[in-house]
Amino acid sequence: MSPELQSPPLAQPRAPGDVRTEEMLLNIGPQHPSTHGVFRVVVQTDGEIVLDSEPHIGYLHRCFEKIAESVDYLKVTPYTDRLDYLASMCNNLGYCLTVEKLMGLQIPRRATRLRMIVAELNRVASHLLAFGTYGMDSGAITPFLHAFRDREAILKLFEIICGQRLNYNYVRIGGLAEDAPPRWLDQVAAFVDFFEPKIDEYDALLSYNGIFIKRAANIGVLPAATAISWGCTGPVLRGSGVRRDIRKDEPYLEYDKVEFDVPIGRGEVGTLGDCWDRYMVRVREMREACKIVRQVLKDVPEGPVMAPEAKKVLRPPKGEVYYRIENPRGELGFYVVSDGKDKAVRIKCRSPAFCNLSVLREIAHGCMLADMIMIIGSIDFVMGEVDR
Amino acid sequence: MTGPAGSLPLSTGRGSREATAIVYQELLNPHHAQTYTGRAYWGLFPFAALFVPVLTAGLFVAWEAVVHLTGLTRTTGEFWSVARPLLLGLGWVHVILIFITIFSMYAVWMERKVSAHMQCRTGPMEVGRIQGSIFLWKRFNFRLWPKSWSPHGWLQTLADGLKLMAKEDLIPKDADRWIFILAPIVAFTGVFISFLVIPFHGVLSSFIPADLDTGVFFFAAVTSIEAIGVIMAGWASNNKWALFGAMRAATQVVSYELPIGLAFLTAVVAAGSLRVSDIVAAQGPDYGMLAWFVFRSPFLLLAFVIYFISSLAECKRAPFDLPEAESELISGFHTEYSSMRFSIFFLAEYAAMYVVAAFAAVLFLGGWWTGIAPVDHFLADAAKSDGLLPRLAAVGIGVFAVVGKSMILVFFQMAARWTYPRARLDQVMYLCLKVFLPFGLLTLVGGTAWELWLEGGWPKALLG
Amino acid sequence: MPAATTGTPIANRGYFATIWQVARSCLTGLGVTMRYFVRPGTVCTLQYPLQKDNLPERHRGIHFLETEKCIMCWKCARACPVDCIDIEGTRDGEINGAYQGKGVLLTRFTIDYSRCIFCNLCCEPCPELCIHMGQEFDYSAYHRDDVVKNLLSDRVFTKDDKTFVLKAREEAAKLAAAKKAAKAAAAPKPAAPAAPGAAPAAPAAAAKPPVPPTAAASTPPEPPKPAG
Ligand code: SF4
Ligand code: SF4
Repeated sequence: MSPELQSPPLAQPRAPGDVRTEEMLLNIGPQHPSTHGVFRVVVQTDGEIVLDSEPHIGYLHRCFEKIAESVDYLKVTPYTDRLDYLASMCNNLGYCLTVEKLMGLQIPRRATRLRMIVAELNRVASHLLAFGTYGMDSGAITPFLHAFRDREAILKLFEIICGQRLNYNYVRIGGLAEDAPPRWLDQVAAFVDFFEPKIDEYDALLSYNGIFIKRAANIGVLPAATAISWGCTGPVLRGSGVRRDIRKDEPYLEYDKVEFDVPIGRGEVGTLGDCWDRYMVRVREMREACKIVRQVLKDVPEGPVMAPEAKKVLRPPKGEVYYRIENPRGELGFYVVSDGKDKAVRIKCRSPAFCNLSVLREIAHGCMLADMIMIIGSIDFVMGEVDR
Repeated sequence: MTGPAGSLPLSTGRGSREATAIVYQELLNPHHAQTYTGRAYWGLFPFAALFVPVLTAGLFVAWEAVVHLTGLTRTTGEFWSVARPLLLGLGWVHVILIFITIFSMYAVWMERKVSAHMQCRTGPMEVGRIQGSIFLWKRFNFRLWPKSWSPHGWLQTLADGLKLMAKEDLIPKDADRWIFILAPIVAFTGVFISFLVIPFHGVLSSFIPADLDTGVFFFAAVTSIEAIGVIMAGWASNNKWALFGAMRAATQVVSYELPIGLAFLTAVVAAGSLRVSDIVAAQGPDYGMLAWFVFRSPFLLLAFVIYFISSLAECKRAPFDLPEAESELISGFHTEYSSMRFSIFFLAEYAAMYVVAAFAAVLFLGGWWTGIAPVDHFLADAAKSDGLLPRLAAVGIGVFAVVGKSMILVFFQMAARWTYPRARLDQVMYLCLKVFLPFGLLTLVGGTAWELWLEGGWPKALLG
Repeated sequence: MPAATTGTPIANRGYFATIWQVARSCLTGLGVTMRYFVRPGTVCTLQYPLQKDNLPERHRGIHFLETEKCIMCWKCARACPVDCIDIEGTRDGEINGAYQGKGVLLTRFTIDYSRCIFCNLCCEPCPELCIHMGQEFDYSAYHRDDVVKNLLSDRVFTKDDKTFVLKAREEAAKLAAAKKAAKAAAAPKPAAPAAPGAAPAAPAAAAKPPVPPTAAASTPPEPPKPAG
C-alpha cells in the first residue's frame, strides 16, 4: 500500500461550505472484547479516525499497597500474585528478591536455578497470551488458540510444581515453596523442545502474514525518546529500539551466567517503534526465554530450595530497599521500608504496565478505530497491575 | 540433571516426536493417545463432506419427479400459462428454503468443526449422542455403531437454533422500532432472491421462473440488497457500534460491486450470454475439465480469484468482516439483535456464503458439468431426453456437482476466515479500488482479446 | 519464514511487491492451518465430563483436615493472609457433638471459600501436618453462605452447624469458667480476682501460651505471637 495511506492524517479542517460533521465520543470499555480487562478509553472519533483518546483506569483497584502494609512479609506474596496475574512467578520473584536483599538472605543455588526456570517459563506464558490476544485483536483467532495450547502446557508445568495454574505463590522469601518433583525438569525440557518449532509456526501464521503486517506496521509509532520520557519499559521500550533489559543491565539471580540476546525493534517491516516491532520483540523474547531455560536446565544442582534462615515470621532489619526485575511487561520494582517489625512500613510497587499504558494517548493520535485496538493490544497491559 | 534412573534424557531434540508426545500426553491431555487416533478423527468426515450435496441432490430429484409426474411442464392452455409459473415458483421457493435451512445448519456445524480442527480443538462433540446401538450380528458383538456414540456433535446447530429461539427478543427502547424489525427480513430476502438465478442442474424445464435472460446482472443487483438490511439494522439499533458496522458495510459492499461486476463480465464475454444457464452450457460437455472457465484463459483464472476474494468482502466474511469485527465493534451491526432476529441475520450470512460460492462454481467452475467428459455427454443427452429416469439422473448428478463444487469453495471461505487477520477499512477499500479494479479491467480487456484470438477457447483451438 | 532485515520494510514496499508478499504469506498461513486440519494428532481437547484430567499431587484445591491430629494451635489461622479460617474448640471438658482432635475437642473448623485465595500458606506451618489442600476444585453454590466449608464434617457449613457452634461456644465458656473456678479454688492464694466472670483474662491458661484464654473466641483478632 502506498505510504500516504499508512497513517491516516488527522481530520483536516473543513473548507467553508463543506458538510458539517460532528465528532463522536465513543466509550471503548470497560467491557469490551479488546481492552484486556476492565480498561476504558473514551475516544473522540471523526468517522473512523480517532482524534483523541483518554484512558480511564481504576476499575480493578484492590489496595495492594495498603494491604501489604497490614500483613506479614510472608503473607504479601500471594497478593503479589494478583498484581500481574499473567506473570505471577515474576511478581513473586520481584517481591521476594526485594525482601531478601533487605534481609541479606543467601538463597540455595538450586532455588536460584529453579527460580530462573519458572520466571522464564512464565515469561513465555505471558508473551504467549500477549501474542494470542494480539492476533485476536487483529481478527485472527487461530493463533490465539495455538498460543493457548502451548500456554496450557506451561500452566500444567506450574500446576505440577506448585499446585496452581495462575496464582502460584511459589517463589517465597528465602527460596521456593517446594522442590521440583522428580520428573518436572524432564517435562520442562520436553516442553521447550516442543515449543521452539511452534514459534516458527507463529511467524508463518501471523507475524509475517501480509495482512497482519499491514495492520500492525507503521501504526502507533513510539519514538525512543518518547518511550523513555514516559518511563516505558520492557517490550514497549525495546520495541522502540532501546536495548534495555534489567536481566542484562543489572543481572539478578544468575542471569549473568547465561547467554541470551535482548531482542529490540528494528523497524523491519515499517517504522521503528511501531506496533509490529513491539509485538515481534515479544515473539523473539519467547525464543530467548527458551534459550535461557535450556541453559539453566543443563545445571540444576541438587540441594535444598529454602534458605534455613528464612523463618516463619520474618523481621527484616530496619532500612529500605528498592529492587527491580524484568517482568514480561517491563521493569517491576518493589520498594520496601522496614522498621524491624514483622510488617512493612511501606511497600510500593512500580508496575511496568501502568507506565506503559500511560503512553497510549500519545501514540494513538490520528489513528483509525481499528488501529486503536491494535495499539492497545501492542502495549500488552494487565489491568490487575495497572490498578493494583 | 535428570530424574530418577530410567527416565528420559533431558532434551530429546528440538521439535522431536518424544517431546511432542510428552507435552501432549503429560501436560495437555492424559487421554490423548487413546482418543485422538486418525480413525476416530476422520471417521465421520467423508460422510459429512457428502452430506449436503447428496441431500440436496435428493431434494431436487424429488422435486423434478413431482414436476415430471404431474406433467406440470407439459400442460397447455390459458389457465396453465398463468398457473404454471406460480406453482413452479411456489415449489421452487420451498425447495430453496429447505435447502437454505439444511445448508445453514450444516455449514454452522462445519464451520465449527473446521475452525476447531485448525485450532487443535474438536469443536462440538456431545450434542446428539446416541445411546444404544443396533446389533447386526449379536454373536460377534458386531454393531452398526458403538454402544454410546456421539457423531461429532451433529445436532449442535439444532440445539443452538432452539436456544436462540428461546431467547428473549429484545428491541432497545430508543431503537427505530420498525426499521429494526424489518432489517433482518430485508437482509434475508436479498440473499434469498439471489438463489433464483443459480442453475442447480442442466434440466432446466422445471425451473423456468429462474432462468432469466439477464441472470448475471440480476444476481449482481440483488446480492447487494443484503447490505441495505445491514445498514437498516445498524441505523435502527441506535448504538454507536452498530452504526459503525453499518457504515463499514455500506462502504465495503457497494465498492466491491465493481470488481465483482468486472469479473462477471469477463465470464459473460467468454460465454457470450448474460443468461446463467448459457454460461454453464458453454463450459461443457466436451473437453472435460479443460472447458471450465477457470482453465479457459489466464484472464478468467484471475477473474475467478478476484471474484472469490471480492465475494468474501461482499458477504462480509473474514478477512473482510469489518461490519461485525468482534474485536473492534463488539459485534457490529447486529450488536443489539437477539433471539430469532439475530438468527435470521445469521441465516442470511450463511446463505450468502453459499450463494456467492455457488455462483463462482456456476460461472467459473463449470456449474453442473462434472469435468469427466463421458458423464458430461450423458448429462447433455439426458437433459434433452423425455424419459423420467435419465432426467432424474441428470438432475441428481448436476445438483451434486454444483453443490459439491460450491461446498469446496465454502470450505475455503471458512479456512480463510480462521487463518487471516482482519484488514483495516482503508486497506479493504484500497484492495478493491486500487488492486481489484485495475486487475478486473485487465481481465475484461484481456479476456475479450483472448476470446477474439482463440475463438471457442483454447481447448477447441489446440485440441481440435 | 525468514525475516527480511535489509531493503525496504515490507509494509512500505511498492505496489506489486506488496501484492506478491501478501499473497504469498497468505498461502503460507493457509498451509499452517491446513496442516493442523488434516492431522488428528494435534487435537488436544479433553472431553471434560467424560474424561478427566490427572490432577497433579500438589494440586491446591479445597482443603481437608485430619481432625484427629489437630491440636488447635491456630497456626494455620494465623498464617492465612485473608483470615478465612475459623477454629473453635475446648480443652476443658466434654461438649456433646464436638469432634475429637489431639487432646482437644473441636467445635468449629471452617474455611470461608469466598475469601480463601488458595495460597497454601495455611498448610505449611501446621505442626501436625494435618491440614491439606485436596484435589477437589469445583465448589460452587447458589448462596454466599454455602461456600463456607466445615472441615470437621467435610461438608458445607450449614445452619445447624452454626447453631451447634453457638451453643458449643456458650458451653465452652461455661467449662472454661468452671475450670478457672476450680483452679482458683485449688490455688493457695487467689491473687486479687482481677478478672471477674465473663471476661477471664490472661493468667488463666498459663501452661500453653498460644492458646487464647477464651475458648469461645473465634479466630483471635490479634493473637499473641508464638514463642519461636
Ligand atoms: S489457602 Fe491461603 S487463603 Fe486459603 S485458607 Fe489457606 S492460608 Fe487462607
Ligand atoms: S495448624 Fe494444624 S494443628 Fe494447628 S490448628 Fe491448624 S490444622 Fe490444627
